[in-house]
Amino acid sequence: MLNKTIVKLAIPLAVGALALTACSSDSGGGGDTLKIAFQGPLSGDNVALGENMQNGVKLAIDQANAKGDLGVKLEYVAADDQGLPDKATAAAQKVIDDESIVAVVGPAFSGPTNTSSPLYTEAGMVTVSPSATNPTLTDPKNGFKSLLRGVPNDNQQGAAMATYYAKKLKAKKVYLIDDKTDYGTGLAGVAEKGLKDAGIQVVRKAVPQKTPDYSATAKDVVNSKADALIYAGYYQDAAPFAKKLKDAGYKGAAISGDGTNDAKFIELAGDASEGWFLTCPCTDATVEAGTKKFTADYQKAFNRAPGTYSAEAYDIANMIIEQIRAKKGDVEREALRDALAKATYKGLTKSFSFDENGEFKGTDVYLYQVKGGKIGYLGNVNQLAG
Amino acid sequence: MSLQEFWDYLVLGVMLGSLYAVIAIGYTLVYGVLQLINFAHSEVFMLGAYGSLIVLQLVNPGDTPSALASIGFVALAMAGSALFGGVTAYGLEKVAYRPLRRRGAPRLIFLITAIGASFFLYNLAGKLFGRDPMTLPEMYENRNVFSLFGAGVNITQLLQFVTAVVMMIGLDLLVTKTKLGKGIRAVAQDAEVASLMGVDIDRVISRTFIIGGVLGGVAGFLFANLNQVSYTMGFIPGITAFAAAVVGGIGNIRGAMAGGVLIGVVETMTVPLLGDEWRSVSAMVVLILVLMFRPMGILGKQVGRAA
Repeated sequence: MLNKTIVKLAIPLAVGALALTACSSDSGGGGDTLKIAFQGPLSGDNVALGENMQNGVKLAIDQANAKGDLGVKLEYVAADDQGLPDKATAAAQKVIDDESIVAVVGPAFSGPTNTSSPLYTEAGMVTVSPSATNPTLTDPKNGFKSLLRGVPNDNQQGAAMATYYAKKLKAKKVYLIDDKTDYGTGLAGVAEKGLKDAGIQVVRKAVPQKTPDYSATAKDVVNSKADALIYAGYYQDAAPFAKKLKDAGYKGAAISGDGTNDAKFIELAGDASEGWFLTCPCTDATVEAGTKKFTADYQKAFNRAPGTYSAEAYDIANMIIEQIRAKKGDVEREALRDALAKATYKGLTKSFSFDENGEFKGTDVYLYQVKGGKIGYLGNVNQLAG
Repeated sequence: MSLQEFWDYLVLGVMLGSLYAVIAIGYTLVYGVLQLINFAHSEVFMLGAYGSLIVLQLVNPGDTPSALASIGFVALAMAGSALFGGVTAYGLEKVAYRPLRRRGAPRLIFLITAIGASFFLYNLAGKLFGRDPMTLPEMYENRNVFSLFGAGVNITQLLQFVTAVVMMIGLDLLVTKTKLGKGIRAVAQDAEVASLMGVDIDRVISRTFIIGGVLGGVAGFLFANLNQVSYTMGFIPGITAFAAAVVGGIGNIRGAMAGGVLIGVVETMTVPLLGDEWRSVSAMVVLILVLMFRPMGILGKQVGRAA
């Protein structure tokens, strides 16, 4: 009886499933359209960082289509992970299931990269992140074969912060905060090591994201008599914290990483952001000579200036497009992955190439400072520290 | 911790606690009249913050206005948040809870409706106002006005504390002295008998929601002034204030005030002693400890009533 029902149910299900797979293989692969996805926060609390990169990718795709030398039409697909690790797997699965997607720019944040990379690796889908900087992501133990990192990792950024404090600012005691995300703890860990090696006293604290009131923490910073501060986290928490620091009368130096390096930080923190140092493995597209045309195109397309990682995302999308062009649009996911892993691409911002673990080759980190309500570009941090 | 540091953190803790207290009152009031935990109260709080943001963006204070104008902007923002909070709470009662009450739905259904309404409201807010956090325009130049036990108190903190205290005293007077307050107490004690005595229960309940909503909305503004406005801002303060209401004895207004201040002080004291990551943990430890020894909360009555 029971068996009969199961069989009755199973037959139409099986037929249905077959029909579905047949359909999807018809529509995907070998068509005239290839898609490139971007995975990052396109809603949620850090949406500004995601949109910067999304626009870079869109611009690259639009320009390639306009040129029309690819033999295929490229399309952009957005995969929104809200910058949250637990939302990232669903976003990745959506990308993997769409057979006409051949490559992903992203994931943008370290936490989501960590949770979605196993899925991408299994699917043989290459992901090139313009901004995920946690050093452990490219650890061969993880086996994230599909992940290529298009940015120097936080070993460089954390070390740069430490160097700058030690050599240039001659700090004696640094108050170091991470926000408990994969990105924040990774960056803070490296910075702590660098500071200690330089003989600087470190007070390490963790302040989880979305803490409702930063007054007590700010008081703690002042009471600790630290003469400098590192905040390893994103702008949406750095901003209220900066405000409370100002209220509490903190006078020392403050430095934060690429997660805070966005105009939104200044918008949210107001005057309190004045004087904050911001590091970033990204160059300033609006200042560097090589990116002038890009900046103009971007401004025209989106009616605003490019932000943090816009140019890097643009470069990475173009690196992928170059491979598609070389193969005249006849692209398979795994072949594309292998080709990209070996490729070298001279972008507007820097030259992209990867070691055998998918780690970025190159170590340049740049320093910015908030001045007069703008993020001012100071230059390469190691040269500045001298 | 030095004595001076102790005072510093105590003052900060009482300030924060007074805000939790105002939110906690919203939970306690509704629980008092309906025996319902209104989990959507954190969204009333969040929408109140947006209310003040919208008003401030309309009037646009510009660059640090003069002292007198500052007072005007603060008052306008507060009115905006009170309006948003009150309307949201009223709507919530009307749309989500009243139909259930008419049908005599079991308590669990109310609870699930409350959670559903909360999800709906914060996602709606995210859709309407955008998902990026925002800050309130600067209404005044924030500086220290006086010091308390050597701990500097700035305008934001003073505003936060004074408003909270005024609202709490006002509410206390309203509940103990006015006719509406009598009605609220009557419904809280026994709704059925109150209705037999000629109390219009529906009216009392919806006014209770409005009062709770106004308080919650203003607390939302004060919180936004302290931190920033975002569609997810309601959750953590909401849950903390709920814990505060339970610690104080849910259903008891003065209990909610006491619980709020206690939780605020404990959270703040945790920061220098154990670190920020422990603040919610220690708040919940207080909750558990209090409930172990006084299951009805600090000022609560014996749990479980006749019939």
